[in-house]
Amino acid sequence: MLNRAAFGGTPEEIEAARGKGLAKMVRELVDASATSPNPLAPAWAQPRNIRDIRMAIREEKNEPDGRKDKRREFRQMEGENILDLRRWWLSQMMVTPAPLMEKMTLFWHGHFATSVEKVQDGYWMWRQNDVLRRHALGNFATLTKEISRDPAMMIYLDLQQSRKEHPNENWARELMELFTVGIGHYSEEDIRESARAFTGYRVDMTTQQFRFAPRQADVGSKAFMGKTGNWSGDDIIDILMKQPACAQFLARKLWRFFAEDDPSAQIVDAVAARIREHNFEMRPVLSEIFSSKEFFSDAAMRTQIKSPVQYLIQTTKLLATDPPAAPVAQNAMRQMGQILFAPPNVKGWDGGKAWVSTSTLLFRYNFANYLINGDAMRPPADPSKPKGADLGFRRGPLLADIPRRDPIDVSKVIPQELRAKPAELVAHLSTRLFQAPAPDKEREAFLQYLKAREPDTGDVTMRGLLHLMMSTPQFQLA
Amino acid sequence: MLGAAASWTLPVFLERTFFTLDAMAADAATQTVTGKDGTILVVLQMAGGNDGLNMVVPFADDAYYRSRPKLGIPADQILKLDSYAGLNPKLAGLKSLFDEGHLSVIQGVGYPNPNRSHFRSTEIWQTASDADRNENEGWLGKYFDNCCAGADPTVGVAIGDQMPQAFVARTPTGVTFSKPEQFRWVPSEKRNGPMSAEETFFRQLNGVTDDDAAPPAANDGGSIAAIPGSTKANQSAADFLQRTALDAQLSSDKILAIARKTKSNMPYPPGQLAASLSLIARMIAGGLPTRVYYASQGGFDTHAGQLGTHDRLMTELNAALSAFVADLKEQGNFDRVLLMTFSEFGRRVAENANGGTDHGAAAPMFVLGGAVKAGLFGKYPSLSDLDHGDLKFNTDFRSVYGTILDRWLKAPSELVLGHKFSSLPLIG
Repeated sequence: MLNRAAFGGTPEEIEAARGKGLAKMVRELVDASATSPNPLAPAWAQPRNIRDIRMAIREEKNEPDGRKDKRREFRQMEGENILDLRRWWLSQMMVTPAPLMEKMTLFWHGHFATSVEKVQDGYWMWRQNDVLRRHALGNFATLTKEISRDPAMMIYLDLQQSRKEHPNENWARELMELFTVGIGHYSEEDIRESARAFTGYRVDMTTQQFRFAPRQADVGSKAFMGKTGNWSGDDIIDILMKQPACAQFLARKLWRFFAEDDPSAQIVDAVAARIREHNFEMRPVLSEIFSSKEFFSDAAMRTQIKSPVQYLIQTTKLLATDPPAAPVAQNAMRQMGQILFAPPNVKGWDGGKAWVSTSTLLFRYNFANYLINGDAMRPPADPSKPKGADLGFRRGPLLADIPRRDPIDVSKVIPQELRAKPAELVAHLSTRLFQAPAPDKEREAFLQYLKAREPDTGDVTMRGLLHLMMSTPQFQLA
Repeated sequence: MLGAAASWTLPVFLERTFFTLDAMAADAATQTVTGKDGTILVVLQMAGGNDGLNMVVPFADDAYYRSRPKLGIPADQILKLDSYAGLNPKLAGLKSLFDEGHLSVIQGVGYPNPNRSHFRSTEIWQTASDADRNENEGWLGKYFDNCCAGADPTVGVAIGDQMPQAFVARTPTGVTFSKPEQFRWVPSEKRNGPMSAEETFFRQLNGVTDDDAAPPAANDGGSIAAIPGSTKANQSAADFLQRTALDAQLSSDKILAIARKTKSNMPYPPGQLAASLSLIARMIAGGLPTRVYYASQGGFDTHAGQLGTHDRLMTELNAALSAFVADLKEQGNFDRVLLMTFSEFGRRVAENANGGTDHGAAAPMFVLGGAVKAGLFGKYPSLSDLDHGDLKFNTDFRSVYGTILDRWLKAPSELVLGHKFSSLPLIG
C-alpha cells in the first residue's frame, strides 16, 4: 500500500503502518492530502518582468563587441533554478506528510505533460506544479480549466500564440487527444472549432501571469461535438467532461498509474462509473480505488514496473538514507528515462514496460550500488558520476563540488541479530524489497552469496547482499 | 565464465544453468543470421514531423512560394536534383552523395487516411499497420521474430534509453544503450582478477530465464480485473524484465569489448545524432552481429518560428550523416550499410501565422548507402490538389520497408508486413 499509493516507506514507517488496517491507512492517506498545506515555494520562484529581460538580451545582440553576458547569465540562472526545482520536488516526495498528494501531482505532471525544454523558465514550471498540487485530489474539470490558463502549458502548446484570425490548433488537439477524451472521440472539425474558443488567452510577459484579451477572442458561434453555441474555452471543457469517453479515458490512466499496465475493459468501466458518480472529484474516487478488491488482486499486485521517480524515492527510503545530491539525482533520472519537468513529449511518459530497456535496467542496478555504497565503492567509470550537470538546456552551467556520498548505515536497515542468520536475513529483506518471499532460485542465490562470504558478516557483505538483491528483475516491480 | 572464482560449491542446478548460459552464448556467436559480414540496416527517425517541403523543395512550383511567403527557400539557394525539386541548402553533403550515386530520394511517401497525431502516426510507421488498425508489434520486431529466431540479442541495437516501438516483438529481441562504458553491471566491491561472489551470483540471478521460477500468471484468480479481452496475452512485466536482464548481460560484455578496442579516427560534429551514428559506426567496425541499428533525431515539431530551428536541424543532419558516410567508407563498410530516414508526417503546405507549420501528411524519405541506386523516386505530390491543406501521398511507406526487407535484408517482406507492397528500384 505504501509503495503503490505513496512512495514506499522507511523501515520505521513500514513498522508503524503494520497492523493499522486498510481502512485506516486509506483514510490517513486521503485525509492527509486534504489538510496538508502546499509546501513553501523555493525562494527564487517569483514572477519577473520577462519582457524587459528579453529586451535587454535582444539589445545586447546589437552591441558592437557582440558579447552575450546577459543572455548567458540568464540561461545559467534558469539552469540552476530548474535543478533546484527538481531537488525541491524530490525532497517533498521524501518528507511529505501527504505522499498521495505528491503522487497525484506526479500523475498530473505526466497527464498534462509540459517540458521546461520549451517553456525555458523555472518560475512557470514551479507555478504549474503548484497548480497541479492544489488540485491534485480535487476536481478534474476545474484542474483542466486551470491548466488551459497555465502559462507553462500555454507556451508549451502554443496557445499563447493563438489569434482570432489564426487559431493555433496545437492545444485544442492535445486537449482532446491526450487530456480528456482520447483519440477516436473527436473530429478534425472539432479541433478547428474548439481552437477558436481558446483564442484571447494570453500570457502577460511583464507579470508572468495569465490574462484574457477580449479583442483577440473569437466570440462567434462554434459547432463542437454536435452542439452549436458561442462556446468559450471553459464551455468546451465542460462539453468534453460530459462525453462518456472522458471518464473512460481518465479511469484507464488512473488504473494504469496506480494498479496495472493493461486494465481490462471491465475495470475501466467500473472506475469510469465511479468517476462520473463523483462528478470528477478525485478524492472519493481514489479512496474507493484503494479500498477495492481489484486493487489487491493478483492482476494488480507486484505486476507494475516502478517508475524511475518511484524507484529513486522508494529505494532511498528503504535504505534509510538521503537522496543523492541534486546534480547526481538529475543525471540519474535522465538515464532512467524520467526527468521531472522535462517529459519527452506532450503525451508524458509511456510508463510500464517502456521504463525498462537493457540500458535503463543496468543503470538501475548500478544506481542501487551508488545509493548503497556511495563513493566508497565507486569505480572510476561510475555511471552516476555526472560530467558537469546536464540541466536540460543546451548550455547548462557546469557544476563541480558534488558532495561525497557515504555508504549507508547498515544497522538502520538490517537488525544486528539477523546478520549471522542467513535464512532469516534473506527472508526479512525479501519482504522489505519484494513485498513477498523471494522465489526459490533467487533465495538460493542470495544464500549462496552469504555462504561464499562466510564467516564475514560485516557491513561490506551486508551491502553486497542488498545490492545483489536490488540487482534483480523482482526489485523493479511494485 | 566461472573460472577460479568458484571456490565455494555450487549446487548442481546452478551449475547446470551456468552451462546452459555458456552454451547459449556460444550458440549466439555462431549464428548465421548476423550483420558481421552481411548487410546492415540503419533506421533514422526524425521525430516530431519533419517539414518535407523544406527538405526536398519544389522550387519550380509557384504554389510553394505562394503558400510560404516567409518560409519559402529562394530557388537560387536550392541544391537542385532535377528541374522541379532540390535539397535544402544546408544539405550540401547529401547533395554530393546524390551526385556520387549513393542517395535516393523517395518523394511523396505516406499512407491512406493519414493521421495527424504524432503518437498515432508514429505508431503506424513503427508497426507498419494500416491507419485503422492497432498493432503492438513493430515492423522490425516482426522481422526479428520471423527471420532471426535464435539470434544474438544484439541483432537489433537501438541507441538511446528507450526501445523504439519498431523493435517490439513476440520474443523480445534487441538491446538499447546510449554509452557502452556504462552498459555493464558494477559490483559493490571493486576487484581485479577472479569474479567476486557478488558478481557470480549477479550473473546467476540475471542470466537464466527459468520458466519454473516465473511468477504465477497474473490471471488465475478470476477477479473482475482479469477477465480476458485485455491485452494480457502479452508477456507479463516480470517475464519481460527477466528477458531484458538476460539480454543486457549477454550483450554487455561484447559491446564493451568492441567499444574498448574500436576507436574511430573520424571527426564527428557535436550533437546527439552524430554521437549516435559514431557509436553505430564503431559497433559495425568492431563486428557486432547486428543487422538493424536505430537512431533518432528530435525537435522537428516546428509549429512556430520554424526558420532557424529547421535550418539548425538540417545542418545537424547533414553534418552527422556526412561524417557517418566518411567513416563507413574509411572502414570499407559503406557497401554493407543502408540508412533509411523517416518522420511520422510532413507538415502543412501553407505556413501558419506564427512563422511555423502545422501537422501535415506525405513527405520524402532518404535512403542512402554504397549499394543504393541514386535518384528521385516516386512523384512529387501536387501542391494544388491537397487533402485538408496537406500533400497526398503516392508511395506507401511500406513499399520502402518491403523493398529494404526483400532486397537488402533478404527477408520475405510479405511475412513481415502481411502483404506484398510494390517494390521500388532503390537497390542496385
